[in-house]
Amino acid sequence: MENHHKDCRHYLPVDVFKGICKRDKENIAADGESCQHFDQIAQCLFCRHFTPSGEFIGQCMGKTEAWPEMIATTCMDFEWEIRKN
Amino acid sequence: MPANQTISGNVFNLYGNSRSEEIAERPVKKSPSLRAGKLRELYLQAKSSASMEFPYWYTRRWEVLDGEITIVRRAAALKAGFEHLTPTIFPGELLVMGKTRYLRGSYPLPWLSESFFLAAEDELYKQALKDGKISADKVTTMGQGGGNVTHSEGNVISIAGKFGMRKEEMPMLLKTARKWHNKSVDDIGHRYEQMVPGYKEKEAIMRAVICMFDSGYTLPQGREVINYYYPLQYGISGIINICEKAINEVAGAPGMDRLYFYKAVILMLEGVKSWVLNHATEARNMASYEKEGSLQQTEYLEMAERLEWLAENPPRNFHEALQLTWIFHVAVLNEDAISGLSPGRLGQVLFPFWKRDMDRGTLDREKTIELLECMRVKYTCLDCFASMGVVGGVLSGNTFNNLCVGGLKKDGSDASNELEMLILESGMTCDTPQPTLSLLFDEKTHEGFLMQGVECTKIGTGYPAWVNNRTAMEFLMSNFADEGMTIEEARAWSIGGCLETSPGSWMPLELDGKIHWIPGGSAPATSVGVHFISLPKLLEVVLFDGVDQRTGERIFPSHQLKLETYEEVWQAFRQYFSRAVEVLTLTNNIQHDAWRKITPSIVNSMLKPDCLETGKDIGQQGSRFNRTFNVEICGGVNLVNSLASMKLNVFEKQHFSLDKLREAIHANFGYQTAKQSGSFSLMEQKPGNDYREWMKIHKLCLDAPKFGNDNPYVDELFVRWQDFFTGMCSNYKSLYDKPLYACQISVSTHAPMGAVTEATPDGRLCGTTFVDGSVSAYPGTDKNGPYALFNSATCFNHATSQNSQLNMKIHPSAVSGREGSRKFLDLIRSYLRKGAFHIQFNIVDSKMLREAQADPEKYRGLMVRVAGFTQYWVELGKQIQDEVIARTEYQELS
Repeated sequence: MENHHKDCRHYLPVDVFKGICKRDKENIAADGESCQHFDQIAQCLFCRHFTPSGEFIGQCMGKTEAWPEMIATTCMDFEWEIRKN
Repeated sequence: MPANQTISGNVFNLYGNSRSEEIAERPVKKSPSLRAGKLRELYLQAKSSASMEFPYWYTRRWEVLDGEITIVRRAAALKAGFEHLTPTIFPGELLVMGKTRYLRGSYPLPWLSESFFLAAEDELYKQALKDGKISADKVTTMGQGGGNVTHSEGNVISIAGKFGMRKEEMPMLLKTARKWHNKSVDDIGHRYEQMVPGYKEKEAIMRAVICMFDSGYTLPQGREVINYYYPLQYGISGIINICEKAINEVAGAPGMDRLYFYKAVILMLEGVKSWVLNHATEARNMASYEKEGSLQQTEYLEMAERLEWLAENPPRNFHEALQLTWIFHVAVLNEDAISGLSPGRLGQVLFPFWKRDMDRGTLDREKTIELLECMRVKYTCLDCFASMGVVGGVLSGNTFNNLCVGGLKKDGSDASNELEMLILESGMTCDTPQPTLSLLFDEKTHEGFLMQGVECTKIGTGYPAWVNNRTAMEFLMSNFADEGMTIEEARAWSIGGCLETSPGSWMPLELDGKIHWIPGGSAPATSVGVHFISLPKLLEVVLFDGVDQRTGERIFPSHQLKLETYEEVWQAFRQYFSRAVEVLTLTNNIQHDAWRKITPSIVNSMLKPDCLETGKDIGQQGSRFNRTFNVEICGGVNLVNSLASMKLNVFEKQHFSLDKLREAIHANFGYQTAKQSGSFSLMEQKPGNDYREWMKIHKLCLDAPKFGNDNPYVDELFVRWQDFFTGMCSNYKSLYDKPLYACQISVSTHAPMGAVTEATPDGRLCGTTFVDGSVSAYPGTDKNGPYALFNSATCFNHATSQNSQLNMKIHPSAVSGREGSRKFLDLIRSYLRKGAFHIQFNIVDSKMLREAQADPEKYRGLMVRVAGFTQYWVELGKQIQDEVIARTEYQELS
């Protein structure tokens, strides 16, 4: 599975299209292919409480909907599932 | 007349001598600090980006708390939103935090209105699920038209032609919107407003765009001045302590709503606190990427420490005070869809902190300007998420954060200070649309301060706007004395939004044992109520006995008048106008009632005196002053010019009959419509095949007396209109049982309202933009010089209205050099001394605007003044661009 900059812990989003790499300060595209330093940021998809149920949608804690690529760094309930990449 | 030729025969609408064909540059601008320059460049490259984080967590928490007391439930929802926002910090920032994780971020608020997402549901959903990702390179090359995401591309979906949202968030947007279906302020308000007698007329009025929009669910807050006193004095924990103490006093006692209000404030502040601390954590994270001991690492670590302190405590210095005001500014903006939340007289609020730092030697002028420049970039990053009609048609993408300088102190002495001089300076070194600046002119204002203001206006920023302190105070005393306003308190006023006079109060900031009386807003949103009545469109409906000529729909019952005399026309106009105001007041009252019941303001309420003292939110009239609903109008000068034309041509000289005029209007005087020609001013219009048939009538209409020339014939009609309008508003009451008052600003509504209006009897063509402001002359019709314009503009008492608005476009050569500055100040002063409320300027060569229209990328940073706000040229619609180009350009000031 191809990783994208926007899913990396080192990615700083400027807007929906692009951002800045926190490591080397380069401007990068959100959907650009990641480099060897890719480090998956916490997202619902990688949480043990999240169950995908369709494209761009899933269940959080089995009771409420969430979307898989939502950043979860501020979620107190986030727990890493086995990485899928 | 050949196609494409201007009607007037002139290339430019000009007063003064003709000049060189070369484009005259504006006076040389100063440069920002390296840091602010980089941040501004980052902004210029950034696109408006919407995120679902806040609305997702808000809605999720809201659903869990079904059955809870509404204001507590909402506070818990806001708390969830704040504490889950992903923190981001951009390199070089000295002030941090924003509405979302994106630099120029915003988000939908479906609890206010979800209808425009759901209306587009099929289209958006299909786009969201459509395959066909394109390469990242292709996505990032998109950068045309400023920061607006005008169309969907790659994994980004365009909403309302402005906001980009990631494709993967779209299904959640739609699911969340559906959850609010029949529960939002929009839907519930709509359910009940249908019970208003005359509701069907209201709907017809809206369809005809006689009225621009409902205020209750579009922009329910704003056009007001924030108050930073409580956070600056007590800090977050201090306010929580105040609330906890109050809860002990009110729990179980009569007036139980106070208990829920205080509980709500505590919950909300806990969310804000987490939000601040999350950014502190992120600052430490950012520091970890930097070289050990480097300046950038030190700044991040200092930032972390600063935020950790501010999450609990009041500020210890100017930098912290500025950061804290920004935190609460954004916090208010995150609780509602808001335009025009003004920082007010920020330079006077922060002066005690600044002066102390300067005296201690811990701050200098250069560092102050750098901080103020960073503040300018942060304000410019603000976006307001709303439908296309609101964000484009009314706001032109602007958010109207008006920072005022000058005015008077509590004791009546000149309030301008050294920090405000630097605020003006930073407005020159780092020219950005936000915060826009207004200078509160008073005869006591220091001459050097006024000259600094002139130098800032001269470089073409469009700010400061010049506003008359005494006229505003007279208006305030007329409208707020009943609520206890004194002359002393009237001095604390400021501009809310682009140009709404807003009540303030003096709060006792204690620093090192000394009391400093700082001004701040003390009233809720103004410019709520009847939002923009199109006067030329209403006249059209009068002339055609209640029927909209664009759609053929009947709007009002027949007025039963034959319109055989001018007085009958005037009578019918007043009749329809009054009916429109009546029905719109009632329906908007219901919407605002739904707003205060479903989504009561908590952040803004906490800040506004005297909500914390009384335990009432602003929807329960907890503010010190509460008479803030108004009636806004647009196109007043087109109306009066049209009345003058009809009075002269139809009824007095009888050059043609009213029926013939109606035919001419239907024929658009023989020209193509603006939609057909693609041009929205009279400067470039295409005649149709039969234009000769209507040429004589059109010329008579164009030659009829025009407002702005010191011509008593038309000015007397203007006075008559003003007397009627400013007097009749008080016949209608807000839901708080307070009389309405008049508000006269166009913002950007003169474009869309003009677009749906037929030709008018003043010679204006179908679909072209109306005149801007309220006392500006129609472009190209002011031919007798600035002082004649001023005489017309001040033919009535400006203090009878919340505002008036005059735009002038001046060629840079007319104000060049020190002598030009002096002449310019004399010009401004002469106008304000006539009792005028406001004047603002574009100092620009019209040729530059035409070139910028043809080659926008070359002019990404070009700013112009529209009507109460400055905006990047490239982010304005063509309708407004054409109107600004067509404005009369003054090459001489005498």
